[in-house]
Amino acid sequence: MVLDPQLIWNGLVVGSIISVAALGLTLIFGILNFINIAYGDYMAAGAYVAWAVNAQAGLPIGVAIVAGVLFMSVGSVVLDKLVFQHFRTRSPITLLIVSIGVAFFIRNLLRAIWGPSGHFYDLPLEANPSFAGVRFSIEQVAIIVASLLLLLGVYVMLRRTRIGIAMRAASDDRMLSRIRGVDTEKLVLYVWLIGGAIAGLSGIMLGLDAQIRPNMGFTALIAIFAAVILGGIGDPKGAVAGGYFIGVAQEVSVAVIPTEYKFGVGLVALIIGLLTRPDGLFGEATR
Amino acid sequence: MALVDLLLVVGIIAGVYSLLAIGMNMHWGDTGLLNFAHAAFFAVGAYTSAILTTPPATGSLATRVVGFDLPIVVGIAAGTAIAGVVGVLIALPSVRLEGDYLAIVTLSAAELIRLMIHNEAWLTTGAQTLKNIPRPLDGAIPFSYDLFYFLLVWAIVGVCYLLFERLSSSPFGRVLHAIRENDDVPLALGKNTYMFKLKSFGIGAAVAGLAGGLWAHYVYAISSIMFLPSITFLIWAAVIVGGAGSYGGAILGASVVVGLRQITRFIPGDVPFGDQLSYIRLMIVGVVLILVLYYRPQGLLGDAERLQAGTSE
Repeated sequence: MVLDPQLIWNGLVVGSIISVAALGLTLIFGILNFINIAYGDYMAAGAYVAWAVNAQAGLPIGVAIVAGVLFMSVGSVVLDKLVFQHFRTRSPITLLIVSIGVAFFIRNLLRAIWGPSGHFYDLPLEANPSFAGVRFSIEQVAIIVASLLLLLGVYVMLRRTRIGIAMRAASDDRMLSRIRGVDTEKLVLYVWLIGGAIAGLSGIMLGLDAQIRPNMGFTALIAIFAAVILGGIGDPKGAVAGGYFIGVAQEVSVAVIPTEYKFGVGLVALIIGLLTRPDGLFGEATR
Repeated sequence: MALVDLLLVVGIIAGVYSLLAIGMNMHWGDTGLLNFAHAAFFAVGAYTSAILTTPPATGSLATRVVGFDLPIVVGIAAGTAIAGVVGVLIALPSVRLEGDYLAIVTLSAAELIRLMIHNEAWLTTGAQTLKNIPRPLDGAIPFSYDLFYFLLVWAIVGVCYLLFERLSSSPFGRVLHAIRENDDVPLALGKNTYMFKLKSFGIGAAVAGLAGGLWAHYVYAISSIMFLPSITFLIWAAVIVGGAGSYGGAILGASVVVGLRQITRFIPGDVPFGDQLSYIRLMIVGVVLILVLYYRPQGLLGDAERLQAGTSE
């Protein structure tokens, strides 16, 4: 069987979005140690705010993207102060259930403000060029470039900056990092700022590639979870690899299985991954 | 519709959700298992019963070629059993996983099942609604049918409540509680904790299947969008609000959540924000969930001691 390059391209686009989202989710998990079910709804909120700035207020898409990302970055901190902060001493499971409440709230707030139906960004219509038999859109190229830049940026941040190094230390061993003088509260603030910004950006990317809907992020959440778990929960490098793997596997699978089932590929990959490598692709048996 | 009729409909929905919450309480309240596949068990029960009790679709546009036209009792019983089997099948590979991993795998498995229901039109009518599901004793009830169904559903809720309360305090239930507290301890005492978890998963899923059957035979028509993961999350909210570990709490929590969702049925449509009310009530469910977790973590009827358990890593 010859692989259709179009499918691989589609997979790279979807994989870029999943990778970015998975990176944000796994950063939050690494430091705060709970699975944020509301993460998909953070993504949707970022996409909606950008849409409102772009299509409703009529500003250029670049401004809209910055607005959406900043909104979710600050919004995540606000939600932490309002909600999650008060549960920080509780068990990870309690926090997970709290995040269900937050998810309900955000998703239905979006529906209440902007209605249940789908929207599109207001973008200039351009003919989709093709290269070597692969048809692509400007948005898709932008998604891939933006995701690579972001992944590189986060990599440098985690390796080179004080806050990044503190994050990695806290992710490895929170107690030890605190003893060594890492300011936990400041760290939490930065994690939400960065994690929220990434959520907003990945939501906007998702909206650029498809439709903006209230449940868009929640629907994508399973593929994102699959990427995070395949890569090993809390491991940024793994999340990115897992994201590209799921994205490409999902799109390429269309060649052999009915299209309707392509979303099942991520799920099956997740289940097989968990059974064979419960600590992730690069994971050590720590959990 | 008169107020009483509306109340009966809300009551029927509350009863069905109570059964779902009873099943979830067996998983989380008694055993400490994070099940996020409840909507799928609900769907399996509903579809099994609907397929067994209706004839195959006819006509030129018919897609569903499977149908058995069996009695409703057979359908609901089979729906209950098959949902239980599906629960065990999902649990077989996943129930050994740690809490949050289990949550994600079961959520994924549930979506896979929904995807199959949505796409296997020969069996489920696919994306279209499966219609003409028969109602039990339809036409034979001398008084309001909704009143009959309300009584039927709540009688079943009552029986299940007594059954599960008993099960919870039986030796079987005590092993489940021990697993919830710390599953190394019953293991050290020679209990096969894996088998107990499988049974807990199967039984809880079966009640959800029963709820599915009762739902399908009440609403005439079902479609895959009725079984989105948001149902699972609503049931979680119900169990937590009512108080994990308490079956009375599960029923109360389900009634509170359904009440909050349905209360807007009683508000006239021309109030301000009338269009947004259905979303606002779900926002309220989210807020109530968070407030209960903050101010009363054991829930309305839950036992504070239960909190010590199942919540550790």
